[in-house]
Amino acid sequence: MSGQVPALDVKTVDPTLVAGHRSSLWRDTLRGILRQRSAQAGVVILGFLLLIAVFANVVAPFGSEQDLRYPPISEQVNRLAPPCIHLLGCDTSLPQHAFGVDGNFFDVFSRVVYGARISLFVGFVTVGFAIVIGTLIGAVAGYAGGWVDNLFMRLMDVVLSFPSLILAIAIVTVIGSGLIQAQLAIGIVAIPIYARLMRASVLSIKERDFVVASRALGESDRGILFRRILPNALTPLIVQGTLGIGGAVLEVAALSFLGLGAQPPTAEWGSMIGLNRNFIFNAPHLIIFPGIALSLTVLGFNLLGDGIRDALDPRLNR
Amino acid sequence: MIVALGLVVAACGGGGPSASASGTGAVPTDVASEEPFESSGTFEPMAWPEEPMDCSFEGDDTHAAYNGEFAQIRAVDESTVEFELCYADVSFLQKIAFSSFNIHDTASLENDMENHRILARPNGTGPFMITEWSRGDHITMVRNPNYWGEAPAFESLEFRWSVDSAQRFVELQAGTVDGIDNPGPDDFAAIEGDSNLTLYEREGLNTFYVGFNNNPKIEGFDNSTNPFANEDVRRAVAMGIDRQQIVDNFYPEGSEVASHFVPCAIEFACTGDEWYEFDPEAARQLLADAGFPDGFSTTIHLRDVVRGYLPNPTQVATELQTQLRENLNIEAAIDVQESGTFIDNSDGGLLDGIHLLGWGADYPDNTNFLDYHFGGGASDQFGDKFDDIVEALRVGATSPEDADREAAYVEANNAIREHVPMVPIAHGGSATVFQADVENAHASPLSNEQFAVMVPGDRDQLVWMQNAEPIGLYCADESDGESLRACEQMNESLYAYEVGGTAAEPALATECTTNDEGTLWTCSLREGVTFHNGAPFDANDVVLSYAVQWDVEHPLHIGRDGSFTYFSALFGGFLNSPAE
Repeated sequence: MSGQVPALDVKTVDPTLVAGHRSSLWRDTLRGILRQRSAQAGVVILGFLLLIAVFANVVAPFGSEQDLRYPPISEQVNRLAPPCIHLLGCDTSLPQHAFGVDGNFFDVFSRVVYGARISLFVGFVTVGFAIVIGTLIGAVAGYAGGWVDNLFMRLMDVVLSFPSLILAIAIVTVIGSGLIQAQLAIGIVAIPIYARLMRASVLSIKERDFVVASRALGESDRGILFRRILPNALTPLIVQGTLGIGGAVLEVAALSFLGLGAQPPTAEWGSMIGLNRNFIFNAPHLIIFPGIALSLTVLGFNLLGDGIRDALDPRLNR
Repeated sequence: MIVALGLVVAACGGGGPSASASGTGAVPTDVASEEPFESSGTFEPMAWPEEPMDCSFEGDDTHAAYNGEFAQIRAVDESTVEFELCYADVSFLQKIAFSSFNIHDTASLENDMENHRILARPNGTGPFMITEWSRGDHITMVRNPNYWGEAPAFESLEFRWSVDSAQRFVELQAGTVDGIDNPGPDDFAAIEGDSNLTLYEREGLNTFYVGFNNNPKIEGFDNSTNPFANEDVRRAVAMGIDRQQIVDNFYPEGSEVASHFVPCAIEFACTGDEWYEFDPEAARQLLADAGFPDGFSTTIHLRDVVRGYLPNPTQVATELQTQLRENLNIEAAIDVQESGTFIDNSDGGLLDGIHLLGWGADYPDNTNFLDYHFGGGASDQFGDKFDDIVEALRVGATSPEDADREAAYVEANNAIREHVPMVPIAHGGSATVFQADVENAHASPLSNEQFAVMVPGDRDQLVWMQNAEPIGLYCADESDGESLRACEQMNESLYAYEVGGTAAEPALATECTTNDEGTLWTCSLREGVTFHNGAPFDANDVVLSYAVQWDVEHPLHIGRDGSFTYFSALFGGFLNSPAE
């Protein structure tokens, strides 16, 4: 994956020379991103999902684990009832459930809505963890070079040599099942991607004139790495990170589907699909709606990531 | 480090005790193609132990008191075996018919036990011989050309598995398998409407229960914090679960709420008082009186494997979680474990909180249900045993008079109701489904379908799809139904259950007779029987097959994890058990 992200030479400028223009640079970048059709679509989808996630308790008519048979609902509801929306002609004598009712008398719409909160949180935290650790490893390896570089990068090569989901399953086997454990496993598996990306950027930037100048002026290695090089190496990480969030959401959902991530009855989309997989023929709505939500989220991040890449890649910019 | 550890664990097949000794991938299992057996030509009758066990042995510094049923097992001659018992056992024939007591070839036991090869390459006398076990995918068996009985009408039998009833159903509809176990409860109507398929309903000779451990054997576990050490708490949970709701919503037709632990179709099963009625008010009061007015937190452990007694495991767990919260203010987290790990943890008494498990009849007798779970030789599944239950079950299992047995089971059932080691929830109806052209297809009430009698149309192969992969094929040390069914196609016991029924009938023995006291059984063995590798079957094979299970100090008492739970549970205990 990291190899697909081009080096962004044009945007890497000496911050000491253009400090006054930094805000306009970011504004230009944002404008460039929003000019991309795919990014626009991604922003709309993710904005919608983000709003739903933030206001889940307002949007969802019931709790995510609210059994409709018990107070304060106490509804006479049919198990596995199909979607019923009165406005669309559903019999008004039946209780209204936009996405139907599942096998445990939970309102599927409410669970899908609350699932957005979990999935987005999972995506950001997982990729954030991978970026932080990966950046540190890549930056230190790239800047220090020599045996430090060799040690870190060979370790990353080992991790990369395994299929990511298989490796994540192995990690979860060791540290136990659960949503946090699944995030940690997916995060660990993703570290090498960001480490390699950061190392490549650091290797390129550390030979630049402004870095040489800083070194000549007596700035410490730590200062050069964190104040001069890192700010100029972040752009590819942003692109990769945006694309990575969608993948992380999908992989955590896969672990939950297998029973290794979120434990039932947590309203996590992968877990919901897994829990109801045997109803695919007689109550398909239990699979379809969380499936659509999952696809939409991944699509949103992929579109946004593609848009950001297109906007920032100088070779695709003209 | 985590990554490295993960890789090591993954390479070891999950690290749990269920990990296969033979690793992953296709396992070379073709015993028939091995070097031909060469007979030594002499027969020296074996006896185990050399002198009959002192049945009143009360233990010493190194050994625990002996409570077992056997005093000695001895070969009289090549085709006669005697079982000398410490006490009469009215269910003896039904017990020895069970697949945990399959007879294995002496040489195979000696050569394949220590290296665990026997777990994947049983050398039995049954109508099929194993040729391949592709881990995670399928087991292939071929017809035994030297089978002593009627040979199967088709060439090969393949076992496949899927935890998903939907997938099993789709494979059946697509014609890629000939028969499946446990169709989803919501698919019954669709199956009955499909003329290409035939549904065979299976009698609910099973029990699903919610178990508690009153003293888990978890290292460092402080039992003073265990709410389920308190009998009133267990009773409160028993009264706070609406079992009718569970059966109505998650079980197919033909299922019923359990009034007793053992299904009522079994003799003396439903004696004594019926189980507690659902009464959440009284349950909450009982819980408050026990010192938990605000409830407490616990864990529901389960495996996500469909069984006749539990067709929707995770959904039932979720329902139970809801009921505990709503009715008793008990917050329960759900912990889904891998099947083999879960069984091992359960047998080892390593599950705190609540666990969901069940039992399908291996033979239709109270001893199969009650002794296995609550008898003197039972595992640590429910923690410390209850002496009054153990004693009542001992009397029930050893009394030759029906009236005495009935009285004992009244006492046992009432004691179980009083101590509440578990809550019996349901006796689940289930079924098998076969392609309509499969002749002699059936659903066994004991879940031990015999494929050798079936005829899959004009096909040379019959493909069977069950709920899960067998854990091991040395079934002396397995208790999982999926393993037992596979074992039964390749191995045989002295007796066997009739096809599609429950009566015990001669198999490797032509008959077993007892003395007037019921303490000495003499079995005449079928002659001309050979194992899959050509070795002749004789009385020493019987003695050794039992001895390795019975005697803890036998060098071959190894198995998969060495628990041999069926032997201990059904025959009262092991020989030479170490002192506590």
